[in-house]
Amino acid sequence: MAEFDAIVVGSGISGGWVAKELCERGLKVCVLERGKPTDPVKDYSDFLEPWETQHFDKISDEDVKRDFPITGINYAMKQSNRHLWMTDRAQPYERAPEQSFNWRRGAHVGGRSLLWGRASYRFSAYDFEVNKADGEGVDWPVRYNDIAPWYDHVEKFAGIAGNRDGLDQLPDGKHFQPAFEHTCAELDLKEKLKTSFPERKLIMGRVAHLTKPTEEQTALGRGRCQARNRCAHGCSYGAYFSSNAATLPAAERTGNLTLIPNSVVSKLVHNPVNNRISGVQVLDADTGVGTTHTAKIVFVNASTIGTSLILLNSATEAHPTGLANSSDQLGRNLMDHIGGSQVVAHVPGHLDRYFSGRRAIGAYIPRYRNYPKQEESYKRGWGYQVYSWRGGWGAPAGVGEGFKTKNRTPGPWGIMLDAFGECLPNPNNTIRAHKTKTDKWGQPIAVVDLKLGPNEEALMRAAHQDAFEILKAAGFNGFYEARKPDDYLNGVLGRIHEMGTARMGRDPKTSVLNGWNQSHDIPNLFITDGSFMTSSAVQNPSLTYMAFSARAANHAADLLQEGDL
Amino acid sequence: MTDFLMMQRRDALKSLLAISAAGALTACIGEGKADGASAPKLSSAPSLSTAEMALVSALGQTIIPMTDTAGAVEAGVPAVVQTLFTEWGDENYRTYWRAGLDKLEKHFVKEGGQKFAAMSASQQANLLGRYDEKAFADNDFDPFYKDMKSTIATAYYMSEPGATEELAYEAVPGEWRGCVPLSDQPKTWAT
Repeated sequence: MAEFDAIVVGSGISGGWVAKELCERGLKVCVLERGKPTDPVKDYSDFLEPWETQHFDKISDEDVKRDFPITGINYAMKQSNRHLWMTDRAQPYERAPEQSFNWRRGAHVGGRSLLWGRASYRFSAYDFEVNKADGEGVDWPVRYNDIAPWYDHVEKFAGIAGNRDGLDQLPDGKHFQPAFEHTCAELDLKEKLKTSFPERKLIMGRVAHLTKPTEEQTALGRGRCQARNRCAHGCSYGAYFSSNAATLPAAERTGNLTLIPNSVVSKLVHNPVNNRISGVQVLDADTGVGTTHTAKIVFVNASTIGTSLILLNSATEAHPTGLANSSDQLGRNLMDHIGGSQVVAHVPGHLDRYFSGRRAIGAYIPRYRNYPKQEESYKRGWGYQVYSWRGGWGAPAGVGEGFKTKNRTPGPWGIMLDAFGECLPNPNNTIRAHKTKTDKWGQPIAVVDLKLGPNEEALMRAAHQDAFEILKAAGFNGFYEARKPDDYLNGVLGRIHEMGTARMGRDPKTSVLNGWNQSHDIPNLFITDGSFMTSSAVQNPSLTYMAFSARAANHAADLLQEGDL
Repeated sequence: MTDFLMMQRRDALKSLLAISAAGALTACIGEGKADGASAPKLSSAPSLSTAEMALVSALGQTIIPMTDTAGAVEAGVPAVVQTLFTEWGDENYRTYWRAGLDKLEKHFVKEGGQKFAAMSASQQANLLGRYDEKAFADNDFDPFYKDMKSTIATAYYMSEPGATEELAYEAVPGEWRGCVPLSDQPKTWAT
């Protein structure tokens, strides 16, 4: 007799959704999380005033060397939220020589759902068809119409602020909450694009923030976004979507959820007699004591790299290359978004205008190259995240009262185009389990190999050129390359969008999962984190993980109900 | 997603980031060579001395004097500098600061006949103004000075009086407005 109906490994964005849906279907669900419990009162630092932070909220070099020697620090990593980030000591990994991929992970219940950028975009009909059309990777076993109702479902619950822009390459949602406003600089560019490049649209970014909470959201204790832009510190208002604010409380209130933190999954146990996963072995993160939990179905949502590593480390005599890997595609086709182009420009004028509040999202220029038809020498394309601002304080020339006056006076408007390019699925971009090196639990560590292919490089260079073209045509000046392609040729740097290493597909010989995120090989095994992705498209992927997670969970519940598992 | 609204503040912080181990060491070695003799003997005490703190305070107050709002000293900037030195910086950072402050003090003693902290406010403003001009005209003139100035500015504008009185700050704005008349609130947002 299994302990639970379902085990979900991981409590991040996708695991949280699976837990919620399964619990709401009446299943007894156990969520195993390797990180610590999250206590908003203790762990969130969103109410720290600037003068209450230590050391400008910057982690010291010595601490970076000790805790994050490989991953380094990133924009969302602060002295006051560093306890939310998995250290390289706690879970070491290696990357292929000369590569720069940074594996950024949460170390707590909720995972990266507390740390994510919150940009929420649907994939389009094109995105689900393009692999088949241009022959890259394998065909998605799902089409836009299959997933559209699930996008509706997750958008309604999560709460997405955005406009209905009517663009085929970026489908609108039905339940959008009011979008944030553009800045004057964005409005300027938006207007000028209409004549300079009519097919390139600047729209307001769509973001998982509540701007007009529904009753369902309020009932979960979530409130409206207060425009503080303290998101990476956790949100005491629960205003942005996180497992902690939304899906886990929803799962909890069903009475069907058992959440067990500090549970490092060491392997899945496969029963060769009935070809099912019979249990999940965990080690207590504090004591190292081992336990095995059992359930009828298992969802692995340990993040792309984490999930692949668990399956690779669960190899048996009958499955020597890892569980659910008869296709030999497990750990292959690793993708992330290309990010080697950021072009900044000065936006003349608008000096009598300013902004107020702190908006936690920028604008967006959806993909336009090779859309809807292949036209360029490279395949696919990119989208630009667009940021804009008026100059703030700094340390300009001058001393005394003049220095103070300079800093007290808002500077000129600036804007930046930050390209997010598509990464093609390449079977030689891999996550492997290290042959000899293990972590402190004796688990082989991950080795990440994510090369920048010729297509990715071509995209990045084209995006860089287009950014200049767009900004010049708008009459902007004072260009500055915050990132340029030549500096980003050592593999894919990573946008914290790693995906693809247990892809879904129609053919069990060339894919790990079927169109329901179910293992082709082992019927009671499901994977709905980023590893299921058959292509990366250019959109920030979390919303798509949510939609597939909800769909897969309901399908699994159906199968279980029908006695098919 | 990076908070690019804070781009300029980020630039200020970037100069802190720029003080890499290699950079700091080069700075120290360069210093020794410039003297044409052995490297200057610098204290290795874990905190800035009274004399060093007096210099930091005087430099801070000259860069950011008290006007109708607090100056660097009233805003507690020297204590923040000391805390960065004792709790945050590594050996390279401390050496970089010590050598940099030492060089500045020597320069001002030579130019003004006494330690910077002992000078009158007008002499301080005059000498530092000239030094500042050179540092901004020539990036190689004294990179430490610009890094130090950036640290002082960051400490000041992140302080309570710096953020809330000198600049404008709202802990909980409640609303975002993307394009409003500057006259509604004409001061730079602290964050």
